Amino acid sequence: MKSILTNTILILLVRVFLGGLFIVASLDKIVDPAAFAASILNYKIVGPTLAMVIATILPSLELLCGLSLILGLYPRTSALFITFMLVGFTILITSALLRGLDISCGCFTQDPNVSKIGYIKILENVGMIMLGVLLLFVQNYGITLTQFFPQQKNAPSDKI
Amino acid sequence: MKTHRQSIHEALLLIAAATILGFAYTFVTKQGFFSEKKPAFSAATANLEMISLEKAKELYESQSALFIDARHDFEYKIGHIHGAINIALKEIDTHRVWLENIPKEKMLIVYCDGAECNSSIELALKLMELKFTNVKVFFGGWQEWKANNLPIDKE
Repeated sequence: MKSILTNTILILLVRVFLGGLFIVASLDKIVDPAAFAASILNYKIVGPTLAMVIATILPSLELLCGLSLILGLYPRTSALFITFMLVGFTILITSALLRGLDISCGCFTQDPNVSKIGYIKILENVGMIMLGVLLLFVQNYGITLTQFFPQQKNAPSDKI
Repeated sequence: MKTHRQSIHEALLLIAAATILGFAYTFVTKQGFFSEKKPAFSAATANLEMISLEKAKELYESQSALFIDARHDFEYKIGHIHGAINIALKEIDTHRVWLENIPKEKMLIVYCDGAECNSSIELALKLMELKFTNVKVFFGGWQEWKANNLPIDKE
């Protein structure tokens, strides 16, 4: 386990994979927030106004966290957000499945006829959550954007 | 301690940036909260009536409603509710002229594949935007109709 956490190439690949997924997932939602709000409404948990608030902010947060994770700007905080989001999405999908809702995920595309929720989607999310948790325990994130900027004196290190 | 404080600082920064970015983008592109269609979206969603299989069957037998299949045309061709017409969600624009000939008070029952799938709701909202006043969603959809051996058509 320790060798995985210290393998900077592997960690970089995980960062690019997870960050890339979140960037791709955000694009369709950013382009059409109303369709994303409709997808949120289908889960029958929040009302139209809150759905629209979520549809306005969440895609931008996904995009920023994805970019930040890949660029290594705030890698640990981004990984934490991404993990929280994935846990939240997984709870929502599980709850929808348990209530017998046959709805599309709204995860990567807002086309209602593709990407229906199911247990495969939950497994995918669990896999991504594991990658997110892995990134939380990393000591050295390898290549990061912050390496190219002069560090402030007494600035807290990214290492725990 | 410093690390925790820095993490909280970074988290707040990300949330603030996402909020500003999200609202700025939707403001510039006139979408979401800043869309002129937004009030219709909220109101229509709140007013959209979902009907059960029993109600859908009753309305089918009374021949008082027009059934609309919101799925892709290839799914429609495999099988659909008897007498239903196909308006795939993404192709509504190609049906606008035809829809203009339908009386606005005509009862329209929209369905898609299964219980509460998105496309039926979204198509119903679009039909309400087109001023149709009596739009309902049959949330059991094609799967429930077929499972109960009710009349179907195939092409």
